[in-house]
Amino acid sequence: MKKWLFIFASFIVLVGCSDSFNVSFSDNESINPGIDDAFNSTYKSMDSQPVLLKSANIYDGLGGEFINYDLLLSDGKIIEINKSIDSNNALIIDASDKWITPGIIDIHSHMGVYSAPGVSTSSDGNEATSPVTAEVWAEHSLWTQDPQFALALKGGVTAFHVLPGSANLFGGRGATFKNISKNTIQDMKFPGAPHSLKMACGENPKRVYGNRRQAPSTRMGNMAGYRSAWIDAVEYTDGMNEDNIDRRPKRDLAMDTLMGVLNDEILIQNHCYRAEEMAMMIELSREFNYKITAFHHAVEAYKIADLLADEGICAAMWADWWGFKHEAYDMVQANIAIIDQARNGTGCAIVHSDDAVGIQHLNQEAAKAMAAGNRAGFDISKAHAMRWITSNPAKAAGILNKTGSIEIDKDADVVLWTGNPFSVYSRAEKVFIDGALVFDMHNPKIQPITDFDLGIIQPQNNRVE
Amino acid sequence: MRYFYLSLFFLLGTSLSSETVLLKGGLVHSGDGNSAIIQDILLSDNIIKAVGDNLIIDGNTRVIELDGLPVTPGLISPLSNLGIVEINALDVTRDDESEVLTAGFSIFNAFNPHSTGIPWNRSNGITSAISTPSPSRASVFGLGSYFILDGSLEIKGLKDIAMFGRIGATYGSRAETLSMLDSLLDIGRMLGTTPIQEILELSLVEKLDIQSQDIFALGKVVNEGLPFVLETNRAVDILQALALKEKYNLNLVLVSIEEAPMVLDRIKESDTPVIIDPMDNIPNSFDELGSSLELGRILDQAGIKIMFSTQRSHNYHLMRQGSGNAVAHGMSYESAIAGMTKVVADTFKLGNRGSIESGKFADIIVWDGDPLEPSSFPKIVMIDGVIQDLSSRSSRLTERYTNKEDKPSSYKH
Repeated sequence: MKKWLFIFASFIVLVGCSDSFNVSFSDNESINPGIDDAFNSTYKSMDSQPVLLKSANIYDGLGGEFINYDLLLSDGKIIEINKSIDSNNALIIDASDKWITPGIIDIHSHMGVYSAPGVSTSSDGNEATSPVTAEVWAEHSLWTQDPQFALALKGGVTAFHVLPGSANLFGGRGATFKNISKNTIQDMKFPGAPHSLKMACGENPKRVYGNRRQAPSTRMGNMAGYRSAWIDAVEYTDGMNEDNIDRRPKRDLAMDTLMGVLNDEILIQNHCYRAEEMAMMIELSREFNYKITAFHHAVEAYKIADLLADEGICAAMWADWWGFKHEAYDMVQANIAIIDQARNGTGCAIVHSDDAVGIQHLNQEAAKAMAAGNRAGFDISKAHAMRWITSNPAKAAGILNKTGSIEIDKDADVVLWTGNPFSVYSRAEKVFIDGALVFDMHNPKIQPITDFDLGIIQPQNNRVE
Repeated sequence: MRYFYLSLFFLLGTSLSSETVLLKGGLVHSGDGNSAIIQDILLSDNIIKAVGDNLIIDGNTRVIELDGLPVTPGLISPLSNLGIVEINALDVTRDDESEVLTAGFSIFNAFNPHSTGIPWNRSNGITSAISTPSPSRASVFGLGSYFILDGSLEIKGLKDIAMFGRIGATYGSRAETLSMLDSLLDIGRMLGTTPIQEILELSLVEKLDIQSQDIFALGKVVNEGLPFVLETNRAVDILQALALKEKYNLNLVLVSIEEAPMVLDRIKESDTPVIIDPMDNIPNSFDELGSSLELGRILDQAGIKIMFSTQRSHNYHLMRQGSGNAVAHGMSYESAIAGMTKVVADTFKLGNRGSIESGKFADIIVWDGDPLEPSSFPKIVMIDGVIQDLSSRSSRLTERYTNKEDKPSSYKH
């Protein structure tokens, strides 16, 4: 019934993460200084007042659990977590019997580049005209009025990483956004977040180009394509390091991106399903001396869980998607738990969505993955599993120093849930981004309505009331 | 590891169909829409013999203590590709489309009881399913059949139990789609009075290359009340579907209907059951602009009979998560349970299945927690009174890769 959906889904796969990244950046620093000092974030947080959430239960996103604690937000930051906080100027919210988590983060989204409605004129996620399109940036396709952003916000998502699709070996750059719809793309960009480069293994590139009787049409063709591009990138990078400016090569957008990876400024998010292909991609990264941040989809990650833990590479996974293509056949529900528990619990597991419905329920997806892991013999707590949708994706997006956990001085990106977020019955009641209340389930005035939603069914109403 | 013990236990514990079993003290959701109560269930010869308190048993009865665990009827997927699609992106593993037939295309003979999706969905609580052809360019694309998911080569189920079709944004104008649909139903109606040879000579029949199988199938829809399952979303299209129902006295079932709240009274008046995906709130097309998570609640409060589809193929059990989300948005809990069991059985006349009542086939699930929580799993899956092995390729792979023995995984078995 949804055959088109699977074809669509198979076009749009990718990502990756890592502990051993040391990407430093400030709000005003460009991603790749001297190369592409352009399109920087112009994000400004919405107005906020100090907020004191009283008597809450808190998962801090790092594995910690605080029962019956107060949380103070002010000036866009998390100020204090304590047993009993007083404030004479904060808005006080009774959070008793409710739960607080960091804002949910999705490391794999195509919102804005595959907007709703999913019509051909909004299909902007795959520049499927050449297997190497490292020159394109997903953010340049983003439609700021995509109604899917607001739906994700209702699911507690405060930041998301938008990637190009997986038609190409190198699909282009991904970028991270704060989940507040604004009228320019730069106004939504997460300040200082690094770019990523999407790479794709397996069936998709070889199918797309093989069907056109061009390379790659095989998995070995995929590998040759990556290696050829990296050879060029090494030469380009060496050339750009020439002291004599006249001997430097002419700027090349694709090579700029690959050079950014070689210089540890751009993070590799690698769509890859099969175990042996992920291992090959690791070997490829050794050959050309770059780092893979995360494998995305990674349906067979559990088969090489120790290798991923040793390499400090995250795996971003679904709880249970399978069967839509051959490389997604060996699904186990314990995949996320097995990655998490590898090498004495040092693995980096992420629950991702790659899907506009899934992104709204990442808490439920984490619940399924945790339960499956515990059924398989692990002992994983809810507080620990919360990392899979908060701090781990923040790490993979290179924004863990800003968000992804409830810690003092971090961005006040916080969700208040009606109940325990691992239950299907719990909903995001209030969502704060940089301390500003940006969604309130009880107040229609604090629920975003995009231009698209306005008067589109009945002129006097919004799309969904 | 733990998987291994579980499956071993159930393998050894598999009851023979002649054995008498008492499921004692479960929190029984009968599927009929009433609240759950702690009850015992007595079964033998594949059948539920009694449901109640303090049932009288003899010394040969095997007693399984449930200690208040939730019990539901086996879940029934009303809209699946189970047994007819192995891998979506591999056409050679798909048997859900015809190049020759439309309305008369039956998937029944393609059903593969060994498809890996069957043990997977069974171990997650789906004990039977309707498998359907997939949409084609035609507005009517074929006949679905009902299958009991016990994996047996002696295929149990019901052949060609419903016709499937669609109105909405696809190819060309929906005005033409509606006109064609009207003509097709009219052709089906003619079958009562006109020889098939004459119908085959009609210009439209020749133009559309309609085969005699198609005409006979349409005849069943119009003349014999075969359920006609029509996917549509836009409010005005739903009204068009209801008009066809009235004109041809169809046994209509509506699917998806994301804009149903705008025509709620008309659906209710027509007494039409519906199949929805409660989690799909994306305005995926210009037909679905009214899409929202409130759909389940709104339909339920109007008293409309609701069943559930899932967004993702291969995981039909995720209708539990879908209906859980509907409950989170205000649908009643027991309507959610009924929508996965008895409503499906009643709508499609699936014989004595879909509820926990004396005289019904013993398709029963014992859950380790609230069945609407996605983190819950079945502890016992029973089909026709037989406890099923809960293993699947997925559980086998899990066993293999949680086995820490130092040898190649291909030797861990």
